[in-house]
Amino acid sequence: MNMKNRYKVLVIEDEVHINNLLCALMDANGYQALSAHSCEEGNLMFASHRPDLVILDLGLPDRDGMQFLEEIRKESLVPVIVLSARTDEKDKVLALNAGANDYVTKPFGSRELVARVASALRTASHRAENGMRPGGKFKSRGLIIDYDARYVTIDGEEIRLTQTEYNIVALLSEHAGKMLTYDTITTEIWGYKDAGSTKKLQVNMANIRKKLGAKPGKQNYIINELGVGYRMSEGDD
Amino acid sequence: MNGKEKRVGVIKNIVVTIGSLVMDFMLCLLIQNIFSEATLVPTIVVLGVFLIAVFTDGYLYGVLASVCSVLVLNYAFTFPYFKINFTIPENIISAVIMMAVTLITCFLTSKIKYQESLKAESEKEKMRANLLRAVSHDLRTPLTTIYGSSSAILENERTLTSEQKRQMLLGIQQDSQWLCRMVENLLSITRLDGRHVQIIKVPTVLDELIDSVLVKFNKHYAEYEVSVDIPDEMVVIPMDPILIEQVMSNLLENAVLHGTGLTQIWLRVFTIRNQAIFEIRDDGCGIASEKMKNLFNGNYMSEEETTDRQKGNAGIGLSVCATIIRAHGGDITAENSKDGGAIFRFNLDLGEDDEHEESV
Repeated sequence: MNMKNRYKVLVIEDEVHINNLLCALMDANGYQALSAHSCEEGNLMFASHRPDLVILDLGLPDRDGMQFLEEIRKESLVPVIVLSARTDEKDKVLALNAGANDYVTKPFGSRELVARVASALRTASHRAENGMRPGGKFKSRGLIIDYDARYVTIDGEEIRLTQTEYNIVALLSEHAGKMLTYDTITTEIWGYKDAGSTKKLQVNMANIRKKLGAKPGKQNYIINELGVGYRMSEGDD
Repeated sequence: MNGKEKRVGVIKNIVVTIGSLVMDFMLCLLIQNIFSEATLVPTIVVLGVFLIAVFTDGYLYGVLASVCSVLVLNYAFTFPYFKINFTIPENIISAVIMMAVTLITCFLTSKIKYQESLKAESEKEKMRANLLRAVSHDLRTPLTTIYGSSSAILENERTLTSEQKRQMLLGIQQDSQWLCRMVENLLSITRLDGRHVQIIKVPTVLDELIDSVLVKFNKHYAEYEVSVDIPDEMVVIPMDPILIEQVMSNLLENAVLHGTGLTQIWLRVFTIRNQAIFEIRDDGCGIASEKMKNLFNGNYMSEEETTDRQKGNAGIGLSVCATIIRAHGGDITAENSKDGGAIFRFNLDLGEDDEHEESV
């Protein structure tokens, strides 16, 4: 890819060392890094450069990163990856529900971060290109979802799912690579959420896991993040 | 939760007070009927009041019991019988003595109870201090690696071979990973401290917990195989999942770091009645018997092995485990299996068993 076509990644992080690291990582992996150290600067850079992806730290000096996220979500669907601390599941859930595409927990390894960036960019372009077009299929390591026929197979073997189970699997696969929170999934599937809906989702997920032959700790199709939500592993291209 | 406990406490106190008083007076009536002399009666009444003062909380019940006893004693067991009469000096003096016994007893028991709570508090303080000392001591080594290696690379960029640089960078990476784990442990403790009330328990699906723990474990120790044995049906356990995840990671990691000769780790979870039992077993060298005693209170590391940082970590990790499990109302134990490996077990309450709804 030549210089002109490089994806632009806007890094908004006030810690200078982490900012440097993120920008260097982006540059080294073929992206064009833009660096901002505050919400204010981030807004300016966002307006003038129109980045393809934003890496956003939540604790910024001038304003809360969440506020920044809400503002840009009003006008743009640009993928946003949030940086957060491990123990703040609530922050993660809030950010995801406010439209963040993914989050990376601090401290992070470089490989993990680069993988998330690549995945978020891929998902975004995927959705822009085909979405759920007729004849669409999702494929990932032997798992095939045929959206027209509402038919799921693993290595050619049919997996019998109930309506709800299928809807959940289809929803996750449409957003493959993206973390969906419990709230997002329950609202999409049942149209509402109440006290019991997370439990209902967990029960369905337990059945789905069994039917998909998931083994704890192994590379499963559906990845779970305790207290946050679920993510379908990325499809093969 | 707290209000409920308080109510239970009040009910207990009232039952103890009324029960003892009634038994006391029955005994007195019986004795008065058997022996004609009434000299035994006041001693029995004093004993009753004394017991009430010991077994109830605060002054209120003891004082009420003693007032009650004085009146009953005056009414039923002293001359003139079945009449309240405080004009006779003997009766007044016995009333005063009774009051004094009660107040002194109440004072002493309250003091003992207070001292016990102080002791528990200082126990906690001691653990925290141990932890802090151990951590600050242990932080120095990885920081030396990180600081030393990075400045060495920056200052000798040209003279160092790329292999040397690589080695130093690896050292930086490994030691900062160790620091990360240490910080996670400390954060877990502060997560407990930060909430003055009890920890917030969320219904957590066992499968998902185990999956999450093993995914993280495999990231660092892919070469070790953990065989998992958990119930087939869906088990939901109320817990703070982040903290329990920390406990299991610590136990698994300890098996790897301390179980010399380890080839296999077993992770088993099963339910008995209202409890979920977690068991992590390995086939390593087991736990030395002299360490068993102080395993969970963060003490043993201060004794000898502080020179070896990798070993020191276990003391912190295990005391963090114990703190977390106890905060959940569970218990954690360690033992050696017959074939030599170590077994760690902890239990969590399953909570009330609400019917889980069928999927729609």
